[in-house]
Amino acid sequence: MTIKTYLTGTALALALASPALAEVKFGSLYPISGPLALLGEESARGLEIAVDEINAAGGLQGEQIVLERGDAVDNNQATGEARRLISFVGVKGIFGSYSSARAIAASQVSELAGVPYFELGAVADEVTGRGLEYLFRTNPTAAHMGADSITLLVDSIAPGLGKSPEELTLGIIYEDSSYGTSVAGHQETHAKEAGLNVAVKAHYAANSVDMSSIVLSLREAGVDVVLQTSYQNDSVLFLQQANEAGYEPLAIIGGGGGYSMQPTADAVGHDVIDGVFDVDFTQFAVNTEATPGLEEFITAYEEKYGTAPRSGHSLANYVGAKVILEAIAAGEGFEPDQIVAAMQAVDVPQGATAAGYGVKFGENNQNERATMMGMQWQDGRLVTIFPEDAAVAEIRFNN
Amino acid sequence: MTTFLQIITNGLMLGGLFAIVAIGLTLIFGIVKVVNFAHGEFLMVGMFLTWMITTRMGLHPFASVILVVPAMFVLGALTQRLLIQPLMGAEDDHVQIFATVGLSTALMNLALLTYGADIANTPTFGLRAPIELGPVRILTGQLYIFLAAIALVIALQLFLKNSQTGRAIRAVAQHRVAAELMGVNVPRIYILSFGLGAACVGLAAVLIAPLYPTSSNIGTYFVLTAFVVVVLGGLGSIPGAFFGAMVIGIVDSAAGYYIGSGLREAVVFGLFLVILILRPSGLFGKRMTLSHLS
Repeated sequence: MTIKTYLTGTALALALASPALAEVKFGSLYPISGPLALLGEESARGLEIAVDEINAAGGLQGEQIVLERGDAVDNNQATGEARRLISFVGVKGIFGSYSSARAIAASQVSELAGVPYFELGAVADEVTGRGLEYLFRTNPTAAHMGADSITLLVDSIAPGLGKSPEELTLGIIYEDSSYGTSVAGHQETHAKEAGLNVAVKAHYAANSVDMSSIVLSLREAGVDVVLQTSYQNDSVLFLQQANEAGYEPLAIIGGGGGYSMQPTADAVGHDVIDGVFDVDFTQFAVNTEATPGLEEFITAYEEKYGTAPRSGHSLANYVGAKVILEAIAAGEGFEPDQIVAAMQAVDVPQGATAAGYGVKFGENNQNERATMMGMQWQDGRLVTIFPEDAAVAEIRFNN
Repeated sequence: MTTFLQIITNGLMLGGLFAIVAIGLTLIFGIVKVVNFAHGEFLMVGMFLTWMITTRMGLHPFASVILVVPAMFVLGALTQRLLIQPLMGAEDDHVQIFATVGLSTALMNLALLTYGADIANTPTFGLRAPIELGPVRILTGQLYIFLAAIALVIALQLFLKNSQTGRAIRAVAQHRVAAELMGVNVPRIYILSFGLGAACVGLAAVLIAPLYPTSSNIGTYFVLTAFVVVVLGGLGSIPGAFFGAMVIGIVDSAAGYYIGSGLREAVVFGLFLVILILRPSGLFGKRMTLSHLS
């Protein structure tokens, strides 16, 4: 597999090395085979559309961008592919990576080589938390997910339920990898700051086959609002078992992963998931006045791939890549320090990208303007309900 | 009190789920003496078959049992004939174990290639509907699994005790060489037993598919617990696997509520270790004989 990819890469590199057009190479490093392939591929598509647009508009300082793909199927291969892209292909920067673990592994290599690494989709705190000099992240993170879920609860859901935040009893449940743990940690901190009462905080293995005891704990503790950070199977399992046990909290707020995907709603049943909230990357049922360029993105996506986008991952990657490439185009050149200078100059205001958020790299090169949005499942569709300017539907309450 | 009863009931239902998955595993181990690491992937294949038959033909998932069980029997028999049997002559028996590990990875990636990384939903046909038994609630589907597990244990015991083939299987399990000297066709018994074990997991797949979304890695959700159940019950003992599953199910459910969901695995595996130290051959295991060396 690796050898084959390697040879294909070599052949491709030779074939593309025509001297007629000036070209500049960047790496596209995502898991495109293996268990993360579905959303890895979806993420890579966003990057590809951004590159197409920049190339059609004249490229980077007169040079056409050529993307060299790498397959980050696991952490070892992520570092191997990063090494190949940097030393063999000679890319000027690497875009990635969907998975936080792959991003953390691969960016160690690029940092040592002094090559810029642009993270467009991984959410773990540690991606930017390590103080790397050449790593920039455009997308919102676990910290945003934690903070924004509490904001959604305090600003919109609690008033809608006719309760003050102090009256609500919160239960935070999360899968126990670094993803769930870090989001839940931020949720707890923000919940306490907002004066909410956290009665249950429970973690579980993402591959559990039974969550009935968690459901019982939540019910016995009188939890009104459940926050769950999860993957797909455990989202399905929790929603089903809560429903079957007759446990009906006032609100369930899911975080990312499984909660944003149509197959989850289909698995749980549209009547069961109806009214459930979700905090995640910007999705497609959103007010396009707050997300300029979203419709054009969807059109470009459908033309290139023949289907509608399958999740918000492609959009987040598209937005990040486009901002970064435009900044490089406006910069001085492609040397690492010139690219870093171009990144530091980035200043895209809120509401100016197709994902709604702006871009400005702050501490640790994290985009400090990134935010997530609040969604709700209504009649089998995931619609944006928060913040207000991006909302396409009113929040519904079942009580 | 209601909560306590509900926890015990949840535990029993969870035990039924673990039992129905583990029976095939213990059957294969007890007779062929091969630890089948691809057992979870057999379950996954069975669940995908159930999903395809149910969605393509619009049948009740339980109706697919007439196709899935024979198909899984064939898969198991072929595994024994084409993969394990050629390795039986290897100098070291562990080669067979690694072969099943390879088969597990191959099947998982084959499913990933064929069905993608997304989940596949088998229609539930009301099997997720809760029913109330006094103060407790259970799912119809869970109850069927529980009853099916009991029925399967009894049926297998009767088959092994009373039929001519069953006696031959037990003879092979007890002493391979002696059975061969008595005229039993040992390779054929192995193929049959492996097929039977896979057919049992096929039945489990049909019952589980409507309750859990199917994905290429669903086998890994069940297989570790299935191994624990099989070892706890005594390797190769079918009633042992059933009672081992009940113990694990109840402990898992109670620990998840009274101790904390994060610690349930620590409690389950801690108890597992304690039982093994006190009874090394498991709850129902016979004392170690030399028969496993035959």
